[in-house]
Amino acid sequence: MPSTLTLAPAPPSEAAEAVRLEVREFLAAELAAGSFTTHVDTWLSGVDPDFSRKLGERGWLGMTWPKEYGGHERTAMERYAVTEELLAAGAPVAAHWIADRQSGPNLLRYGTEAQRKDILPRIAAGECFFVIGMSEPDSGSDLASIRTRAVRNADGDWVVNGAKVWTSNAHHSHYAITLVRTAPLDTAHRHAGMSQLLVDLSTPGITINPIRILDGGHHFNEVVFDDVVIPGDMLLGEEGAGWHQVTAELAFERSGPERFLSTFPLVAEFARRASSPAELATLGRLSARLLALRQLSLRIAAALDRGELPDIPAALVKDVGTTFEADVVEAIREVVDVPASLDSPDPLGRALAEAQLHAPGYTLRGGTNEILRGIVARGLGLR
Amino acid sequence: MSDQDLVVSTVREILAGHEPTQLTPDRRWDAELWADLAEAGLTGVGLPEEAGGSGGELADAVAVVATLAAGAGAVPVAEQLLVAAPAVLAAGLELPPVDQPLSVSVAGAVRVEDGRLTGTATDVAWAGVVHWLAVVAAGPDGDVLALVDVSGLEATHAANLAGEPRGSYVLDGVPAQVGPLPADLRARYALARAVQLSAAAETVLAWTVQYAGERVQFGRPLAKFQGIQMQLAQMAGEVTAVTALVDAAVQRLDRGEPVELAAAAAKVRAGAAVDVVARQAHQVHGAIGFTQEHRLHHLTKRMWSWRDEAGNELTWARVLGAAVAGEDPWPVLTGLV
Repeated sequence: MPSTLTLAPAPPSEAAEAVRLEVREFLAAELAAGSFTTHVDTWLSGVDPDFSRKLGERGWLGMTWPKEYGGHERTAMERYAVTEELLAAGAPVAAHWIADRQSGPNLLRYGTEAQRKDILPRIAAGECFFVIGMSEPDSGSDLASIRTRAVRNADGDWVVNGAKVWTSNAHHSHYAITLVRTAPLDTAHRHAGMSQLLVDLSTPGITINPIRILDGGHHFNEVVFDDVVIPGDMLLGEEGAGWHQVTAELAFERSGPERFLSTFPLVAEFARRASSPAELATLGRLSARLLALRQLSLRIAAALDRGELPDIPAALVKDVGTTFEADVVEAIREVVDVPASLDSPDPLGRALAEAQLHAPGYTLRGGTNEILRGIVARGLGLR
Repeated sequence: MSDQDLVVSTVREILAGHEPTQLTPDRRWDAELWADLAEAGLTGVGLPEEAGGSGGELADAVAVVATLAAGAGAVPVAEQLLVAAPAVLAAGLELPPVDQPLSVSVAGAVRVEDGRLTGTATDVAWAGVVHWLAVVAAGPDGDVLALVDVSGLEATHAANLAGEPRGSYVLDGVPAQVGPLPADLRARYALARAVQLSAAAETVLAWTVQYAGERVQFGRPLAKFQGIQMQLAQMAGEVTAVTALVDAAVQRLDRGEPVELAAAAAKVRAGAAVDVVARQAHQVHGAIGFTQEHRLHHLTKRMWSWRDEAGNELTWARVLGAAVAGEDPWPVLTGLV
């Protein structure tokens, strides 16, 4: 196996196991108090700013960042345990998810001191939410084909025109890290001439239009930029280095346990009633797949702790992980006869419905599995 | 160079002198390979020196087994190093000399009475080849582990898909040493097969990537076709997942923690990967891979058999599922590997 694809095993972490139990206790209390109900895929659909603030108060956001920016200087392994517990419980984590997972780390790597001081403490407190401004109506997998443009005006500010789509929860968020063309497309160097801007979503000229997903939920949006003036100091990182920065950001986006735990609440509901030999076998097969994915994801967390940016292994884990979370629906349907319905009196029927209606998204968001396999193929030396 | 790197390179050097061959009823194992391994002390790796072993850690023994599996070495090393010898020691029995092959039987119907075994031990890996056998036998107070010298006994000539002997012994009052049955024997056996599957799958992927890079059709190597790249990437995903879980289960065993469920998960996951890995390896290799002229079959046939042996996916998935089922499955899962 080429070394680009393999990662060293994660050493056991007592600190991670300790914080895991704290999170478990917190979640049990919150569930008992009725502050949330379990759902499938809550890192997309479970927006609850109060819940995010509670996590911030407990020090469970911005966990790995330096204390001077509101972080807690804990390990990626500890953060892994926290995020995994929240996902497994189907807790409402969508409000802060993107900011904590990738926007914050992106700011840490490429942001100016002023940007970091201003924004990171608010993310860590669970009070500042971000969206991803990458895809466009005509640019999905082919991200280098984006057309949203930013041009410097006489004051040195950026004037942005264009549109971003699939911007999850833009209507609840404060900022969009937006990938724009700051130089015209050069077909010989397609990845050049792009930059990232830190866009305040309340800026005049921005229109946020809802796009409903299959279950009718409003999470996606179209964000339209019409001569939007963004202050010159809101460039993130280097002008023209947008592609490189986005690639680093995607390594964070692709590496976490949300890439195989989106449907875990459905697995848990199934586990509560599994008793026949066929059901137990299915539960066992799903469990084995999940356990392997946990080990892979833990290895990525350990690699992050070593200061590596394991983008190729992250692509591989996301491919295998999202295939699993989508397969869960079919595997359970093979051994139970419960119609999927959002109105089902049976919690398994409701979980099946939520998981099914969200399923097409698992293997698309954050890079389609075809794109991911292309990255893995490069890791195998085929490209 | 770590101890394991040294062990691996030594095994590889020895393997280089023994090309894998198609096993037949007349050539049921690679006795010369065994002799070379035994001479180098590699048939006692991970077993304490005071018991006659070569010393070293479990990780060293796993490295020997994985390297031999990747090279399709036709010798009972996985059975001896990872299953039978540790069980014999755990049962407080005297370990036979490590240059005399020792295997294990967990199936069949064998009774023990006054230190003598009666019945049939079935599905014995390397039956007819090994000198010693550790057998699960029914005693008056429950199952026990019995160690028996089978060097003078006839075995039936059943074999797995790769020709590895998997016959039976009829035991007719054969004298044996008897001790308590180690609780994790079956799980260790499953984990040993999972280690072999993991190593074989990794090698099959490497061979397939190499072949795709060399084989030219339509004017370019197969590896340059996007469809082939997708297949190889999917294989890599399976192999990586299997490796990670098998490694974790081995580490758990090494830490002395209960290993039954981790081994169950490892065996299920490794077994489940075989179809994708072997099927796509053959698809990419084309017709030559479907023949005995190419090396691929040595590993794919073993993988198709190893996934069935020591409990297949169905058997271990039920064990794992029964442990995970219940009101709160998540803490069970996170505490399991």
